[in-house]
Amino acid sequence: MTATPGIRADLYVTCIIDQLYPNVGVSAVKVLRRLGVTVGFPEGQTCCGQPVYNTGFQNQARTLAKRVLAQFRDSEYVVVPSGSCAATIRVFYLELFADDPELLAEAKILASKTYEFSEFLVNVLNVQDASACGAVHKGTVTYHPSCHLLRELGVKTEPAKLLSSVPGLESRDLNGAEICCGFGGTFSVKFPHISEGMVTDKITNVQNSGAETLVACDMSCLMNMGGALNRQGSNIKIRHLAQILDSDSD
Amino acid sequence: MPEIKTQDFSAASVAAIQNPKLRRALDRVASGFEVARLDRVAEATPEIWDAWRQQARDIKIHTIEHLDYYLDLLYTNVTAAGGQLHFAKDADQANEIVAHIARTRNVKVATKSKSMVSEELALNPVLESIGVEVWETDLGEYIIQLAEETPSHLVAPALHKSKEDVAELFSEKLGIPYDEDIYHMAATAREVLRDKFMEADLGISGANFVVAETGSLVIITNEGNGRLSTSAPRIHIGITGMEKVIPSMQDLSIFLRLLPRSATGQRITSYVSMTTGPRRSDDEDGPEEFHLVLVDNGRSRMLADPALREALYCIRCGACLNICPVYARIGGHAYGWVYPGPIGAVVSPMLVGLKQAKELPQASSLCGACREVCPIKIDIPRMLLDLRKKTAESPDLNIRSAPKSERILASLFSSLMSSPRLLSTAVGFANLLQKTERILPFSHLTKDRKWIRNSLVPPLSRWTRSRDLPALPKQTFRDIWNKELSRDDS
Amino acid sequence: MTTPESLGTPKSEFLDGVRQALGRANIPPSEPYPRLTETIPELEQQAAEVRSRLANNLPNLLDRLADMAAKGGWNVYRARGPEEAIGHVEEIVKKSGATTVVRSAQSVFERVPLDAALASQNITVTTAAHDNENPRESLRETIRQSDVGITGADYALAETGTLVVLPRKGLSRLVSLVPPVHIALVRAEDLVETLDDLFLLRRLEYHQQNGEMGSYLNFITGPSRTADIEMTIVTGVHGPKEVHMVIID
Repeated sequence: MTATPGIRADLYVTCIIDQLYPNVGVSAVKVLRRLGVTVGFPEGQTCCGQPVYNTGFQNQARTLAKRVLAQFRDSEYVVVPSGSCAATIRVFYLELFADDPELLAEAKILASKTYEFSEFLVNVLNVQDASACGAVHKGTVTYHPSCHLLRELGVKTEPAKLLSSVPGLESRDLNGAEICCGFGGTFSVKFPHISEGMVTDKITNVQNSGAETLVACDMSCLMNMGGALNRQGSNIKIRHLAQILDSDSD
Repeated sequence: MPEIKTQDFSAASVAAIQNPKLRRALDRVASGFEVARLDRVAEATPEIWDAWRQQARDIKIHTIEHLDYYLDLLYTNVTAAGGQLHFAKDADQANEIVAHIARTRNVKVATKSKSMVSEELALNPVLESIGVEVWETDLGEYIIQLAEETPSHLVAPALHKSKEDVAELFSEKLGIPYDEDIYHMAATAREVLRDKFMEADLGISGANFVVAETGSLVIITNEGNGRLSTSAPRIHIGITGMEKVIPSMQDLSIFLRLLPRSATGQRITSYVSMTTGPRRSDDEDGPEEFHLVLVDNGRSRMLADPALREALYCIRCGACLNICPVYARIGGHAYGWVYPGPIGAVVSPMLVGLKQAKELPQASSLCGACREVCPIKIDIPRMLLDLRKKTAESPDLNIRSAPKSERILASLFSSLMSSPRLLSTAVGFANLLQKTERILPFSHLTKDRKWIRNSLVPPLSRWTRSRDLPALPKQTFRDIWNKELSRDDS
Repeated sequence: MTTPESLGTPKSEFLDGVRQALGRANIPPSEPYPRLTETIPELEQQAAEVRSRLANNLPNLLDRLADMAAKGGWNVYRARGPEEAIGHVEEIVKKSGATTVVRSAQSVFERVPLDAALASQNITVTTAAHDNENPRESLRETIRQSDVGITGADYALAETGTLVVLPRKGLSRLVSLVPPVHIALVRAEDLVETLDDLFLLRRLEYHQQNGEMGSYLNFITGPSRTADIEMTIVTGVHGPKEVHMVIID
């Protein structure tokens, strides 16, 4: 059963998915189409500017943000399979352009139509149950709520709602779920010893959860935790929520 | 000012992480205060807790916005109650005020209850230099005074010390047999300091709040040393930052609900003590003189900056320290000065100067947990970002935080990302390098070729010290879209 | 009382600095702070409301006080009258092995005459209220040497289980602090429900008395505590190790 038909949404795929985890983008598109959404992909899109914004390079951040404003000017909806990139667009662009009334107005319009992937499914497409996108999963999953998703966007219940309704999926609690995984963008390479400590704690909790798969809505966090897990020789898989909803395509 | 070591942050934090004993001590903090705090929040219910926080924030916004008015009102009422309010623009002036009072009143012995601001001023050496015996009486402060260290936490200053450390310290400095029993050690402190309280000429306290309406100083404590220091000696000097003023005594209810719960998870502390002037003529006891020293010492810099003004709303509960995953790994001393943790990463640079402390705002993943637990809803991540914005490319070389290499990388990144074509070319080139990784040792792949195990190129090398990086996929999403996905066949 | 000395930065200069930082001239808040404009009749009205709420809820609030005080670390006893109260005090003193008691001179001791009862057990009771025969210095020494300190309550706060004392003539700051055991006698009429109620009453007194409410106020909730060594809670650090609240219905 598909949800609201007739919706056109443009995918903001994020540079990390585009360059490093393209299958996540593919899954996102497939899931949205299964739900009756007409998916567009403005081809000039690149990075939202978050890495340079967080490091204090405002001019560079503005340059990249202006591109995003332009690329998605005509979109009805913008769907972002990343909590941190969605937060950058919806929250931080308003701060970035605070002193420029024209660009601020544009940023506000963009903010009003930009959604993170899980919140788009639950709150716009009204997906109550993951079987609506044909999702099935076999095995145990634990979920890590990424910081910007949780605290800047306030997306608390949507991912869990979707995951718990996937037939065959067994949830496992993650101890200290809301503690940061230690990525923080450039923080991870500027203060590697601190970042390492944080990710070590996090993957210890992931391993103790007993789950076979670690799921999140941010590939940056998954890249961080996945990289640490792999280095430790762990067999735990990392998957974006979109991939789970796409029945775990690889 | 006490020795500033904020510029050693990098080295200090690495050393801290490599210290397993410190880790164990910090784990105790996390499992203690924060768990208890969560219990209190649940007990109050999240809705009521949030309403309290908003109320407290509104009071602070209003007060700081009109700080001059409330300081003026405070002055009137402290004076009317028979006390004296002295304004100190900086640490030197504050210390001189206290020293002057001590000198002219023939003070020989002083007992101090906890005052972070007095640490900020490095008051003790000044008093000692004029022949005053200064005794820290808060157990944690007493311990670090004996150890000649600085506090590592806002609320529990000696948290970095194990019981073995304290036993050794007492044995060495007090000449008593080594005894690890925590109850015995507390009893030793009680015994040693009991005489000092009663013989002290001067009691020095901090202040959690100063009330403009009545000219009162309020301290929120557990041990009893605060009560003793403000009751037994003939002179009481309270020292605190000018931002501690609140308009009305009525406002205390909301702060008394928030502060103990946020700091230690207590519904209320053992004691709350409010001083309004010196003893009255027929009181049984109490100091004959009451002085309040209000300190600026750089706070006007935060006041003057709308982006940083809310750092002055802080009530020093320490909740942000207890939740911060960075603090949990490096402890308080790595921050190099009096105020550690998330709030310290804003306040220390503003008070000691960005030149020496510009690294502090960088050492955060901006996770926002601090803002979530702050009883005054202070947006610490925003302030850290603001400080990064101010320092990254600052024309003032003293405070510029981004080294040339970083600025080059940022420009490069921005250029690449401004042109999909350029980006595509660059990625294609990187893919080529990856294919030839056996010849060119830029990055060494894992056997399954899905991960990059070792990259020699900084900053990626810093990542691959402990984590693998994903290998570049054969196609980008963009490629797949163009080849397969752009036609909607569903 | 000493005359004010001009130490530090003159007030006008300091406040000018604050205004400069705020980027404006000397302008008071555009809307006065509500609490600071409340008149005495308004405060009296609120106080009447507090009292009527207390009167309507007394039994519940006494139970609430007992419950919260116990949670806060008080040993709590209920007494249905002065005799029972004295009985509890005797028991506490005996159990502590005390031989010297010091107490305040509050009106509760007229209703609960415990001096005689304790004296009959060979326990010395001194009232720490200075006069010509008993100067402050000697009372201070007595307090130092005493095993138990006993006070009444100026208020008892149900919300937090807190004893509130207002040191003054006949009520030393040290009686409830220096001896290792503190016993507090609480009457039903001492009860207040919330922190807001308590501060309202104090503000009323302050403004009614033209800006005077005494030099000190103490909230006491449980024994003296610390967790400074390895987060292990220890009681009786610098203040009393044991506190006992006898609630007289």
